[in-house]
Amino acid sequence: MTQADAPALSTTQPEDFFQLLKPRVMSLVIFTAATGLVVAGADINPLVAAIAILCIAVGAGAAGALNMALEGETDALMRRTRGRPVAAGRLKSNDALTFGVVLSIFSVTLLGMNTNWTAAGLLGLTIVYYAVFYTLMLKRRTPQNIVIGGAAGAFPPVIGWAAATGEAPWQAWLLFLIIFLWTPPHSWALALYSTGDYAKAGIPMMPVARGAKSTRLQILIYSLVFVPVAIAPGLTGLGGPVYLAVSGLGGLLFLALAFRLWRSRAGDQPDGIGKSGAEVVGREAALYDVRAEAKPARNLFAFSILYLMALFAALLVERFASFGAA
Amino acid sequence: MPTYLTPDQLQARNRRSLWIALGLVGFIVLIFLTTFLRMQSNLAERKAMAATAAEATR
Repeated sequence: MTQADAPALSTTQPEDFFQLLKPRVMSLVIFTAATGLVVAGADINPLVAAIAILCIAVGAGAAGALNMALEGETDALMRRTRGRPVAAGRLKSNDALTFGVVLSIFSVTLLGMNTNWTAAGLLGLTIVYYAVFYTLMLKRRTPQNIVIGGAAGAFPPVIGWAAATGEAPWQAWLLFLIIFLWTPPHSWALALYSTGDYAKAGIPMMPVARGAKSTRLQILIYSLVFVPVAIAPGLTGLGGPVYLAVSGLGGLLFLALAFRLWRSRAGDQPDGIGKSGAEVVGREAALYDVRAEAKPARNLFAFSILYLMALFAALLVERFASFGAA
Repeated sequence: MPTYLTPDQLQARNRRSLWIALGLVGFIVLIFLTTFLRMQSNLAERKAMAATAAEATR
């Protein structure tokens, strides 16, 4: 056998495997899980807490790897995702699948051994929910995909809380509810200026399936429900005055941006273009010409990330301040 | 039959092997730490229970 006849062996780099873990999503998971763990207020060994957070982060990464393994072909069709390792052909989907399964088993097992099996069970449930329920079953079937699937991203603070106490009381589920209700306005704001991509990939995101006008209205409705829930920890004793100020002022800004988006023409197709996905794909370039009008959507998308981080940061700061005072 | 690797394939394989080794070592260290911490907390718990029992019998 000559060198030229040699079977094609992989040139996949370790960085490609790291990219499978969706590092940016992982950082948000670490932050929210750590908040749940700290706010629970249990007396937990810092090393146990650090290993628990690592397990939750790796578990979330494993879910991301499974998602990319199952979505390689779809990812290749969208500008936002076409550079991912499987979509770009740098990594075989079977390798990504194996990597995701192995990491899932390792992270859930280690979390169970390290803390308790309630937390481990919730982590396992989150991985299955995201990889199977959301990716395989929901994403392509209903425009409500992001609403129901958003639960997967909302679990980390509950897992963190359960890791610290072995329980998941209503306060932990309130944190869950904040992320759950935050997801639709956040994701649909992004979808409003990526409509062409989703249509091309055949994913029935709300703007593709119901149109931009309906999406803008639903963003406003969800925002009206989300903001009071975001303020609720400040009124129930979970958060203090700092949290109340951050959630209240940020909430008002969130609502103002959602209102501006509702009044805008973000995501509207240029004149002369019909509503079907095929037409959208055919006139993709023209669709992106409305980007200046999509600015309110981008503003809400960007601010939503900042607002969520600020809410959890306020909870953390107040809890650490109370530790310091004690 | 020998398999020839291009320099790129060889380098990629070596790097993957290194990271697999590091990952396994890391996992073993975490299992060791977890076991150690568990034993420590179980011992402390047992001591506290023994102290409570001794207090009750006194």
